[in-house]
Amino acid sequence: MATTTHPARLKALAASMAAENTDVLVLFGNNWHADHLRYATDFGIQEGQGIALVRADGATTLILDDPAEAERARAEAAIGDILYAPSLVKEARQLLTREGNRQIGAAPFHLLPYGLLNGEKDLRVNDGTKVIERLLMTKLEVEMDAVRRAAKLADEGYAIFRDAARPGRKDYELVAEIETFFRAKGVPENFMIIGVGGQEVRGMAPPGGKVLKPGDMVTTELTPCVDGYYAQICRTLVVGEANEAQKQAFAVYLEAMEAGIAAVASGVTAAQVAKAENDVFRKFGLGDYVTSEYTRVRGHGMGLFPDQKPQILEDVQIPLETGMTIIVHPNTYHPAVGYLVLGDSLIVRDQGHELLCGTPRQLFSVQ
Amino acid sequence: MRRGLMAWDEQELPRAALETRLALLREAVQAIGCDGFVAYTNIAKGAAVAWLSGFQPYWNEGLFYVPATGTPLFATALSKRVAEWIGSVMPIGQVQTTPKPALLIAQHIAQTGGKRIAILELDDFPAGHAKTFLENIPGVELVDGTAAFAKARAHVDAAERGLLAHADRLAEMGLAAIDAKASTAQQALAPCDEHARLGGAEECFATVVPDLQTSGRFQRTDTAGALGQNFAVRSSLAYKASWVRRTRSFTRDASLAPRFAAADKLLASFQPPAEGSLAQAIAGHFTGSDLRVESWLAEQPAGSSPLSGVATSAGSEENWQRQAPFVLNIELSLNGTRWLGARLVG
Repeated sequence: MATTTHPARLKALAASMAAENTDVLVLFGNNWHADHLRYATDFGIQEGQGIALVRADGATTLILDDPAEAERARAEAAIGDILYAPSLVKEARQLLTREGNRQIGAAPFHLLPYGLLNGEKDLRVNDGTKVIERLLMTKLEVEMDAVRRAAKLADEGYAIFRDAARPGRKDYELVAEIETFFRAKGVPENFMIIGVGGQEVRGMAPPGGKVLKPGDMVTTELTPCVDGYYAQICRTLVVGEANEAQKQAFAVYLEAMEAGIAAVASGVTAAQVAKAENDVFRKFGLGDYVTSEYTRVRGHGMGLFPDQKPQILEDVQIPLETGMTIIVHPNTYHPAVGYLVLGDSLIVRDQGHELLCGTPRQLFSVQ
Repeated sequence: MRRGLMAWDEQELPRAALETRLALLREAVQAIGCDGFVAYTNIAKGAAVAWLSGFQPYWNEGLFYVPATGTPLFATALSKRVAEWIGSVMPIGQVQTTPKPALLIAQHIAQTGGKRIAILELDDFPAGHAKTFLENIPGVELVDGTAAFAKARAHVDAAERGLLAHADRLAEMGLAAIDAKASTAQQALAPCDEHARLGGAEECFATVVPDLQTSGRFQRTDTAGALGQNFAVRSSLAYKASWVRRTRSFTRDASLAPRFAAADKLLASFQPPAEGSLAQAIAGHFTGSDLRVESWLAEQPAGSSPLSGVATSAGSEENWQRQAPFVLNIELSLNGTRWLGARLVG
C-alpha cells in the first residue's frame, strides 16, 4: 500500500542514518505530529500514539497504542512489522533493550515519552533530530510532486469554499462542504481555520457557529494532504461588495506577499523573506502589525507536517534550499478592517521559485 | 486537526459540572500527598484536559495545571492571536499563550511553592517538558497521577452523558447518509463526513472496510478504492470533545440484507449488564442459529485517551467501568458472512 514517495524516503533515511552513525532511529508521532512516523512507515496516524524503530538495514517496527489503529496500519502501512501495545513506552523499551549496545537516536526528541528516556541506565537514547530534520524540510522530486498535487486540490477546495460562502450560512457548514469535497477526492486530512466578521476579528480559529452576513470578511487557510504531504492556500473574501477600506487593506497584503515571494530563492534566509513582506507594512505605517502581538509567522515550511521549519520570521536565519516547499503569507490583523489573509505555496528553486497555487490573488466577493 | 464546530454552551456543559470534576480531582490528588496536578493535551491526547476544563486544542499542545487550591492555569503554545478564542471556549481556568508552556507552568509552580506534583501518565509525558519541570522547579518530585485522575474520572455526570448522546446521534446521521449502492470508498465516506459535520461534529474520522469478504480492516479515503458487495463504514466522531464510534455494515446482496438488518437490530437492543461480566452479556445477547460472535472490543475514555480499549473478547474486563457509557465494537459471522457493528451503549 506504499505511496510512490516512500521507497525514495527510505533510501534517503538510510543514507542519513549512516552519515550520523545511527544504528537505530526511534521516531515518535501522533495525529498532531505525524510527520516523523509517516516518513519511515508511510502510515498516517489518526488516534493514539506510535513509535517506529528504524534499523540501519531498513528493518522497521511500528508500535501503536490503539488497537483499531494497529489494524488499520496492517492494511495501510508500507511495513510488515506492526505491533499493538497498550503500553507504548514499555514495549518500545523492551525492543530497544534487545538491540543491545548500539547508537540510538530519537526524534522529535522533546516530544519523546519521558519513560523512554528515564528508564534503565543501560538504555541511552540520544537526540536524533539531525538525522531526519533536513530530510523533512528539503524534498525529493517525488515528494515535490505530491505537494504539487496537494496544491492543486487546495485551489479546487478554495473554489468550493467560495461557492459555499453566502449570507445566512454558518461557518462550520462551509467547513463541512470543504471536507466533503476532500473526502470525495481521497484527501484524508486538511488543516483549516477560519475567521468571519470585521474589525473585531483578530485571527482565525476553528468555526464557532458564526452566521455569515453582508459586509463580513471571511478568511481561511486550506491545507489538504496528499500521500501525507500538505500544501496551503490563504485567501480572503467579502460577503457582498468590498468597501474602500477593505480594498485598500488588501492591496497592502498583496504587495507584501508578492514582495516576499519575489525574495524567495535558494540561499536567501527565511529572515530576508519575512523582511521583504514586513517592509511593505512598515511603508504603509503598519509596522506594529507584523509583531507577535498580531501575527504568528509570515509563512512557513510544509511537507509531511503542515507547519514545519523554516518559519518565515525576521529572526530565523535558516537559508532556504532548493526543494524546500513553503508558503509565503503576510497574514495579520489590520486596524481598519480586521484580520486578513493571503498566501501561496511554492517550491524553492536555485534562481527563485516554482509557484504552486493558481487561484487569483484577489479579494473575492460573494453574494 | 479539529476543524469542525468548537464552541462552549453552558446548557450542555455547565460551569458547575466542571467545578465538581475539579473538586473530585483535587481530593484524589491530595490523597496521594501532592501539591498539584498537571495534564498534557494535544489533538491526540486531549481527553483529560477536555473533561476538566471543556477545552480541546484544535492544534498544537498545552499543559493544564490544577493547584491544590485556587484557579487552574492553562498554558498553550497556540499563538496569542487565538487567546481570546480559547477563553471563549474554555469556561474554567486562566489561559496563557507562550511558545514554552512547560516553562510557564514550571515557573508558576515554583512561585507558588509546589514540590510534589502529580503528572497524568508520567511515562508518556513529553520528555522535554519533564526536563523543563525538573530544571525549573527547585526540589520538585514528579509522581504519576494517572490513578488519582482515574479515581476522579470514574464520576460520570449528566453533562457527559448528554454530549455523548449527541455525538452518537451525529455519527448515526452520517452513517444513515451512506448509499449502500456506493461503488467507491470515496462515495461512501464523503456523505458520512458531511452529515456529521453539518450537524456540528468537531471531528469525524470516517473509515471503510472496502470488502468484508476479504478483510475486516478499516482504511481511510486515500488508501481504499472500489467497494465489494459487502462493506462497512466506521465513524469515529467527536462532539465538543466527547468521542463515540459507530460502525455499520452494508450489502448490495438482496438476500443478505435481511440478515444485516437483523444484526443491526440486535446491536441496537444490547443493554449494559447490571451485574455479571460483559463477556457473558454479549454471549447471551448475540445469539442465533446462523450467528457467531467472532470478536468484540469495549472502549471508554481513559486518562488522556478519548477512547481506550477497556475490555475485549480476548482479554480481561478489569478496566471496564460498568456505570459509564462505552462503545461496543463487535464482529459477527452471519452464516459465514462477516458483519461489523459498533455503537454507544449505556
